[in-house]
Amino acid sequence: MLYREALNKAIDEAMEIDKSVVILGEDVGRYGGSYRVSEGLFAKYGKERVIDTPIAELSIVGNAIGMAIAGLRPVAEIMTVNFSLLALDQIINHASKFRYMSGGKLAIPLTVRMPGGVSRQLAAQHSESYETIYASIPGLIVFAASNPNYAYHALKKAIFLNDPVIFLEHELLYNEEGEVDFNEDLDPFKAKVVKEGEDITVISYLKMVKDSLKAIEKIEKSLNITCELIDLNSLRPLDMQTIANSIKKTKRAVIVEEDHKSGGYGAEVCARICEELFYELDAPVLRIAGEDVPIPYNRKLELASIPTPDKITAKIISWAKENGV
Amino acid sequence: MEYKIVMPVLSDTMDKGKLIKWHVKENDRVKKGDVIAEVESDKAIMEVQTFKDGVVKKLLAKEGDEIEVKKPIAIIETDTKEAENKKEQEEKPKERVQKNNLKETKEEISIFEDILPANKPKIAKTKAAASPAAKKEALKINLDIESLQKEGKIPTPAHLKDIKETELKKYFTPKALKLIKEYQIDINSFKLNKKYKEEDIKNFIKENNIPKISPLSSNQKAVIQNLKNSLQKPIFHIYETIEIGFDIKFKFTAYFLKILAKVMQNHPKTRAVLKQNSLQIYPSSNISVALAKDNELYMAVIKKAEDKSLNQIEEWLKEIKTKKLSKEDMEGSTFGVSNLGMFKIEAFDAIINKDDSAIAAIGEIKENRFKTIFTFDHRILNGKDAALFVKELKEAFLEGRYV
Repeated sequence: MLYREALNKAIDEAMEIDKSVVILGEDVGRYGGSYRVSEGLFAKYGKERVIDTPIAELSIVGNAIGMAIAGLRPVAEIMTVNFSLLALDQIINHASKFRYMSGGKLAIPLTVRMPGGVSRQLAAQHSESYETIYASIPGLIVFAASNPNYAYHALKKAIFLNDPVIFLEHELLYNEEGEVDFNEDLDPFKAKVVKEGEDITVISYLKMVKDSLKAIEKIEKSLNITCELIDLNSLRPLDMQTIANSIKKTKRAVIVEEDHKSGGYGAEVCARICEELFYELDAPVLRIAGEDVPIPYNRKLELASIPTPDKITAKIISWAKENGV
Repeated sequence: MEYKIVMPVLSDTMDKGKLIKWHVKENDRVKKGDVIAEVESDKAIMEVQTFKDGVVKKLLAKEGDEIEVKKPIAIIETDTKEAENKKEQEEKPKERVQKNNLKETKEEISIFEDILPANKPKIAKTKAAASPAAKKEALKINLDIESLQKEGKIPTPAHLKDIKETELKKYFTPKALKLIKEYQIDINSFKLNKKYKEEDIKNFIKENNIPKISPLSSNQKAVIQNLKNSLQKPIFHIYETIEIGFDIKFKFTAYFLKILAKVMQNHPKTRAVLKQNSLQIYPSSNISVALAKDNELYMAVIKKAEDKSLNQIEEWLKEIKTKKLSKEDMEGSTFGVSNLGMFKIEAFDAIINKDDSAIAAIGEIKENRFKTIFTFDHRILNGKDAALFVKELKEAFLEGRYV
């Protein structure tokens, strides 16, 4: 099943189970969503529950919050995280704070879906990753789907959570094929050990999970060691337990993210590891991240600005050799 | 002029597009802006227009086809020269505008050049004495990292591995440690209250009957797979004593290969392999020869053995003993030979190599006679085929044919 089909199925099933689930956003209705995630839903549920909105992100989320207060379970789609900047006031100042400000009388069962990351030549204004902003806001839940299985389960559960969820997708993953285990009772807050290993823990999320996995194959052959790969899945809250279990075993951690290095989400993970697992470490934590530049349009420069499987491989190998692996 | 309409790139993630519907037929006249087709990207269905006037010369795809982006889907024959002249005129002013733009951008960049930060110097890495994990372990077992580093016993910075190895060296001699590693013994099996020597570990291995673990080489794995496959084959044997009617001046295997290769020329099925439900009969006598080298078994293949002289075959036998065998050196055979006669083995039967039709197992020569057991793949050769082949081989040996 494709990643976008898994998301579509999650929304479809949620809408079937619960009449209060509605979706809204730019082109989600008649057009089927700019990445075809809501394809077929307009025909099935009609314009009352699948709502095409004007190009006005602040109002999309603002309206969704209103729906949520009034008892609906809205799923808002923002075309890309880059445009979500226009909706920040509603997300940060309203959605995340209503439960707290109302003394628990109001719940905001809202899901805001948005794809981000570096796609192919969309240039600086359409290639950002803003998980670091959302993951720093108390009152929000942030999920990051790296594969169809998590996309299906986590989105469906997000819709039925009573707090606002920022559901992050990646533009290059929509056509990713993967198996979905419909019988699984997946905990969306738990990080997943994608691959077990003994010597290095590689922590990643979204598309970099796939790239890290490719790199690990070469690293293991080259260094004759085994690597453990963790997909964070939930960025807020962060599942430190899974990270700790792994680092206690391997004693070494690498964080791979696509976002710019300065202030990127990896900085938070790195800080938590140093705070909580300092005496377990046998090597400095390695951070592999994007360069501190606006993402270039030129394809070669674009690739030069973000981690790729080859770069991840080379960086981990040289770091491992420096640090006694 | 021909104008090609290509599969458009409709989204940043689109690799292929599906042609949903043609709006034109071949030989239709089209005008700039006309919709000629509908294509589906990974996102949505979009219309494809022609950007030139003309006649549809050829449609290169059918409805339902998936076509890579930027690959042509239709060819339009553009109408007249006039139309092209007009087009050129339209394009020229554009170029001029672009050039002007470039100039402006360049000037703007020069304004900002001064405020770009200079390359920052890299922060020199502090040479830490040891990693946190190493320090923790050292504390636990009462080890002084600094003095060990001064003595040059462990590196700087020290890692967990260095501390653990130092600790083990207290209780095990280097030879003892080597054995522990070789036999993959859990270090916790030993009480760390004395120094263990090689002898102690050897005794421990014997007492506990611990096997030495010798990983299979890739060749060994291939041999095992080959043997497993051979087990599936329906086979039968022919047992023969063959008499030699000539004097032996070369290696005996060379004679056997030479005569075998010649006789194989008269029996096509010995030159056959079974593949894709058919017999594939090769013109040459390519024979695989079992070869023991560095404790491993190889089946080296001599190609076109029927054309080679005894001298050449003997040279080949010497060569494969020393050279590193490539994949090609072990491919393409239809018949196998294994000679254990040189080890004074009277008779034995052998297992057919890969896709070969048969194998001959040669025993020791006694008074100009030797026993050979042939194993045939019954799917390729019947009893009669095999009998006639062995009969001719026998006669050839007796008469000294081909040598």
